[in-house]
Amino acid sequence: MDRRDFIKLTAVTGTSAALASCGNPEHQLIRFVPDEDITPGIAEWKPSVCPICSAGCGVNVRVMDADVRTVRSGQAGVVRMNVAKKLEGLPTDPISRGGLCARGQAAIQITYHPDRLAQPMKRDGARGSGSFKPISWDEAIAELVSKLDALDDRKALAIVTRPHRGNRDALFAAFAQRVGAPAPIAYELFSDDVLRHANAASYGKAQLPTYDLAKARYVVSFGADFLGTWGSVVAQNAAFGDMRQARPGVRGKLVQVESRMTTTGASADEWVPVKPGTEGVLALALAGKHDIADAEKITGVPAKKIERIAKELADQKPAVAIVGGPALAHTNALFTATAVNELNKALGGELLGFASHNAQLSTLSAQPFAALADAKLLLVDEANPVYGAPKAWKVREALEKIPYIASFSRFVDDTTAYADLILPDHSFLESWTDAAPESGSLDAKPISAGPVMKPIHDTRATADVLIAVAGKLKTPVELPWKNGEELAKSSQPSTVDRRQANPAPPSAGRQPTEWTDPHFDGAASDYPMHFLPYASPAFGDGSTAHLPWLQELPDPLTSAMWSSWIEINPKTAEQMGIADGDLVDVTSSQGTLRVPAVVFPGIAPDIVAMPVGQGHEHYTRYASKRGANAASLLAPVTEPETGTLAWAATRVKIARAGDADGSLILFAGEKYEKPHDHETR
Amino acid sequence: MRWVVMAVALLAAACGSQGQVSDDVFTPAHRTIAAAARDYFNVRPAAQQPIPFPHKTHLAKGAECTDCHETVEKGPIAGIPSVKTCMVCHSQIATTKPLIKEVTAYSDKGIDIPWQRVYGFSQEAHVRFNHAPHIRAKVECATCHGDLKQMTVAERAVDHTMGFCVNCHRQKNAPNDCLTCHY
Repeated sequence: MDRRDFIKLTAVTGTSAALASCGNPEHQLIRFVPDEDITPGIAEWKPSVCPICSAGCGVNVRVMDADVRTVRSGQAGVVRMNVAKKLEGLPTDPISRGGLCARGQAAIQITYHPDRLAQPMKRDGARGSGSFKPISWDEAIAELVSKLDALDDRKALAIVTRPHRGNRDALFAAFAQRVGAPAPIAYELFSDDVLRHANAASYGKAQLPTYDLAKARYVVSFGADFLGTWGSVVAQNAAFGDMRQARPGVRGKLVQVESRMTTTGASADEWVPVKPGTEGVLALALAGKHDIADAEKITGVPAKKIERIAKELADQKPAVAIVGGPALAHTNALFTATAVNELNKALGGELLGFASHNAQLSTLSAQPFAALADAKLLLVDEANPVYGAPKAWKVREALEKIPYIASFSRFVDDTTAYADLILPDHSFLESWTDAAPESGSLDAKPISAGPVMKPIHDTRATADVLIAVAGKLKTPVELPWKNGEELAKSSQPSTVDRRQANPAPPSAGRQPTEWTDPHFDGAASDYPMHFLPYASPAFGDGSTAHLPWLQELPDPLTSAMWSSWIEINPKTAEQMGIADGDLVDVTSSQGTLRVPAVVFPGIAPDIVAMPVGQGHEHYTRYASKRGANAASLLAPVTEPETGTLAWAATRVKIARAGDADGSLILFAGEKYEKPHDHETR
Repeated sequence: MRWVVMAVALLAAACGSQGQVSDDVFTPAHRTIAAAARDYFNVRPAAQQPIPFPHKTHLAKGAECTDCHETVEKGPIAGIPSVKTCMVCHSQIATTKPLIKEVTAYSDKGIDIPWQRVYGFSQEAHVRFNHAPHIRAKVECATCHGDLKQMTVAERAVDHTMGFCVNCHRQKNAPNDCLTCHY
């Protein structure tokens, strides 16, 4: 096409475009009278609490006017409202100190998500199909009340929640107790309960410790991705920055002990790969309580290196050891945690402290969902065990048999898809909210904050719904709070120790510092590789996979986004003829997943790692049926004394299954993001 | 080639209403060529008000501009008043007049009167105007908005060109940096 043709063509298309726009009336929605006084163009900053993880960071919310689409008495229109526009860290908060992580930043998308449930829903399809029809709040509450009243025995009422959520735990615990139901089942995939138990024995505190990294000259971290996904990440990052740069002439050293490189490992001065489940032996050897030659045999770390690190630790005080993540996801995790506590005691322990208020211990049975077998009515709140629990626990099968399930979820997720009734909660920005951070700062205190904006949908605060339901029962039950505001402000044991007493030191017979072999599911002959599912920096345990900002957040080490992948050591990949992006079948005793490979040098040759977070059947348009669920390969292996899932104790075999099919999307390199490859479904 | 450009421009300028095109792809440019042409020639449709609001009458009764355009001293935008503001007085005053009945009807339905904006810069002008400092500098409303005492429905009496702004800024020794307005 020459220049003249181009201009002619432009003229023709331009004219038709201009014609097409003529006489097309401006599309204008009805504008309702605003409910509040608004100063357009002026932003206010209001405090709130980040709901994404249990770190409990205070956030600062930028609130400004906007047009919100709404329906009033059957008429669609817009109304001017003061709404949240941006989240930042709250400078006065001891945990966030003005910082906020990527997941916290993305939390604003919870409120404005296009697939957020706008009103109560009733199932109108098969269970698990995710098909619902809207109903009114009056109908929804009446239905739940009638189902509760119809229960012969309230012991058949089961509640499934997520632990460490401040007063929300107290709400469900009080509801269960006052209506006569068993205590709620609180489940999370990446639980730190082993460490809490070990700390109860070592320090008398069933709680995660707070590390004063800013003062440290030497840090050894055993598996804890404390700059990425483990613990109070924002506080730990700020402290780590101070440790590196805030003291003229002093740059603290970080040694990261792990078998797959995490974000923390990538920031470390020294990365020490160890055999899975042997971290505790290394800790004991560094503390001078285990023979170094034997430790070399067990851990695979050269004796010379152990000696050198031990010497550096002794020379460069103050020093501290951190343990968490996959190191505590083995059957011998209690030993590992106790061994690291021993090392900390040998180092003086001055950098390790505990925030003033106590946390709770949750799941203590090896199969937390066993009780669902007898349940007749189930309430689900912010938990997604259909997605995050090992298949062998048969949560899905149990849900199919429960006659009635109600969920308080804001979205249809894998578990809520089985619900008969959904009573959607406000977003955290629209309701009273609180958190009881157990670590991150010694000044950490339970915090609460009021709504920063009016609800944009016909949702209701779960606290208010539960209080209303309890009050409408045949024999009304009164909860200790009148409404959600009172609950959030209540400073009573916001975290309830479900064992009603301090936990006893674990096990009398065996010394917890005695080396025990980790046990793995699957024989090494059949399943030669260790399988390491790890908390995704974007999605954590998968609970934030529905937020598009996090889907498009490149993984810090592989740059992968919008997808699932399995990381394989280059040598192993070469032996098996696997190249970047090739499809690989990963098989455990529990099943097989087909995922693209990422050839990744930061992993031991006998380990494959896969991020958890994708592979939801139902979780909004952005996460449904995208990628594969690493948790579905997990065998139900638990740490025997605490009942915590040993999520790094599954063995797998891998086989090349085919050529790259484009499902791996990388931000950098050849397989860079092509926007149309992953259009929302 | 000139005739092509002219034809497109004329056609576009003659076409008063704003085109509505549903874009799948975000673009910072004009939605239609007509919109681009209109913007280039500074052709803007006159505001069509649902009720012929008489500024003259209100000002004659002693009302101040800021009584209704409340946020002009607080922020960047003077604010088009909500029907709630009308009802502060008109729930009591002149309730039997036909136009006031229309206002009351809007208020009863909880619907705001769909006033159209009279002044404003286009997106492409990249101007960030803030009323508050101008009010603090005691610039009369009439300087930029004309003498509303003589108008019923507000009309664009003053052309807000860059020359107009810069002139006044020069006279008053106000900053004339590009970044004062374009940032």
